Amino acid sequence: MNPFRKQNHYELLEISPGASPMEIRRAYKNAFELYKDESIVSYSFFTPEERKEIIAGLEDAYLTLINPESRAEYDRTLIASGAVEEEAPYYHKTRDPISIYDLRKTHADMIGPRRRTEDLKHVVSHNKLIQEIMSQDSLTGADLCKIRKELGISLEKIAEETNIRISMLRAIEGDDFDSFPPMVYLKGFLKSYARYLQVDEHVIIDGYIKRVGKQHS
Amino acid sequence: MAHIWPIGGGKGGTGKSFLTGNLGILLAKNGYRTLLVDIDFGTANLHTVLGIPHPETSISDFINKKVGTLEETVVTTAIPNLYFISSALNSLDITNIVHEQKMRLLRSITKLPYEYILLDLGAGTSFNTIDFFMISNSGILVTTAEPTSIENIYRLIRSVYIRRIRQELKVHNFRVLAEEAKTRDSRATEQNPEILLYIIKEIDPERGRVVEQSLRGFEFKLVLNQLRKQDDPNIGALICKIIERHLGLKIHFIGNISFDDHVHSSICKKMPFLHIYPYTQTASDIRRCYENMVSLKETQLCIHGVAE
Ligand SMILES: Nc1ncnc2c1ncn2[C@@H]1O[C@H](COP(=O)(O)OP(=O)(O)OP(=O)(O)O)[C@@H](O)[C@H]1O
Ligand SMILES: [Mg+2]
Repeated sequence: MNPFRKQNHYELLEISPGASPMEIRRAYKNAFELYKDESIVSYSFFTPEERKEIIAGLEDAYLTLINPESRAEYDRTLIASGAVEEEAPYYHKTRDPISIYDLRKTHADMIGPRRRTEDLKHVVSHNKLIQEIMSQDSLTGADLCKIRKELGISLEKIAEETNIRISMLRAIEGDDFDSFPPMVYLKGFLKSYARYLQVDEHVIIDGYIKRVGKQHS
Repeated sequence: MAHIWPIGGGKGGTGKSFLTGNLGILLAKNGYRTLLVDIDFGTANLHTVLGIPHPETSISDFINKKVGTLEETVVTTAIPNLYFISSALNSLDITNIVHEQKMRLLRSITKLPYEYILLDLGAGTSFNTIDFFMISNSGILVTTAEPTSIENIYRLIRSVYIRRIRQELKVHNFRVLAEEAKTRDSRATEQNPEILLYIIKEIDPERGRVVEQSLRGFEFKLVLNQLRKQDDPNIGALICKIIERHLGLKIHFIGNISFDDHVHSSICKKMPFLHIYPYTQTASDIRRCYENMVSLKETQLCIHGVAE
């Protein structure tokens, strides 16, 4: 599979050099699904060695690109070799003027529901800190708290809108494992929490549960 | 000139005859003068799918020169616009069709005066089957969601790939380049035609490019038949993705066709499925596949070694 082996990390994952960490994560996950041993679509196409080689290449690409430092360095080598334009990499994009709404000033809680959803989505997808947190492998309560504060939403407001007790929300953000309800309820709470903030509920639930699972099960 | 759709897929029993028959019915209903040809010489059964148990003539009449032209073996069907060349009455030794007869048959098929000509191919990836599959650049592949069937799709596609390399390079050049390639990289065999071509391109960029250009002319279509509820509906699209990405061949995913026990009943009744079960999910899947197929821009008919 020589031509394939010669592809750069972005080409391997089928993403653009401007991809966000979340896109990188998703692309890796999709590619892994396709090339893993159990995939009935690809098992008969490749020999076991070819498959191993492809998976190793994907892992290398993912690990390099998901870490901001190694990614910056990798981008530099790509730019130097002329493979990508200097303007293309991610860190250039994030410097563009982003939001027309500064939610902390306009106060998200006071905007009508429809506007609120769209504005929040916009901020979530353009806020660098939130994007970084969302691309982490696991999430702490403090991470959730940071996202929430970045969006300018109070805990009281979430409690009111989602009907989750405020003490429970505090326990979640404070990683107070002893006060947690059974897992199914916890997942439900996280889902409502994520939905109210207009962030990807799967990322929040998976990221948070991953840590909790180890200590609370 | 006719649009020719060879329908193959390697594995037996995936639904090639079933699809050929029902696509033919839809084409005819939509006003296209359509001909179905049963190319499964040894184990023909398209006639049964169509509900014509005893066709009067057969393709072997042409091959054995009992009649002068292929046109004379065409029979009409109960459906207006739908015509048929059967293999039902073929003599038992017909599968050993010799090269010259095959070429004559291929040539004659391309000259028949119809708008659409569908070829129902047999299972397997024999030399003959590949020849008929490559009669046009837009062959249709039928698979199920089972790994065995998918495996045979890849096998068929790679057979087509290597055949096209051979056709483009001609006998002598192919032999020289293939041997040289093998000494450079032991994986560059006919079983791995994509690696073989890659090495050939290094050895002889000029010829390599010609082959590559020719391979880009293919526009295959894939149908995933007999999809059951528990199957992943994305399998078909992913198969196309693997083929496009790793072989560099163009292949469109046409759609899924649900598994339905009524198909079995329709065949037992020797009645076209679309006629007796038009309101099933499977029937509407077939209609959607039909729409997707006719809306794809046809590539130019292209037969190597067939046109004089
Ligand atoms: N969508 C479907 N749902 C249920 N059964 C199906 C479906 N399609 C095909 N079948 C079943 O699969 C059997 C094989 O179909 P068909 O004869 O069309 O396959 P084929 O690919 O032409 O086989 P061969 O390679 O032997 O010519 C049929 O008898 C039918 O019962
Ligand atoms: Mg058949």
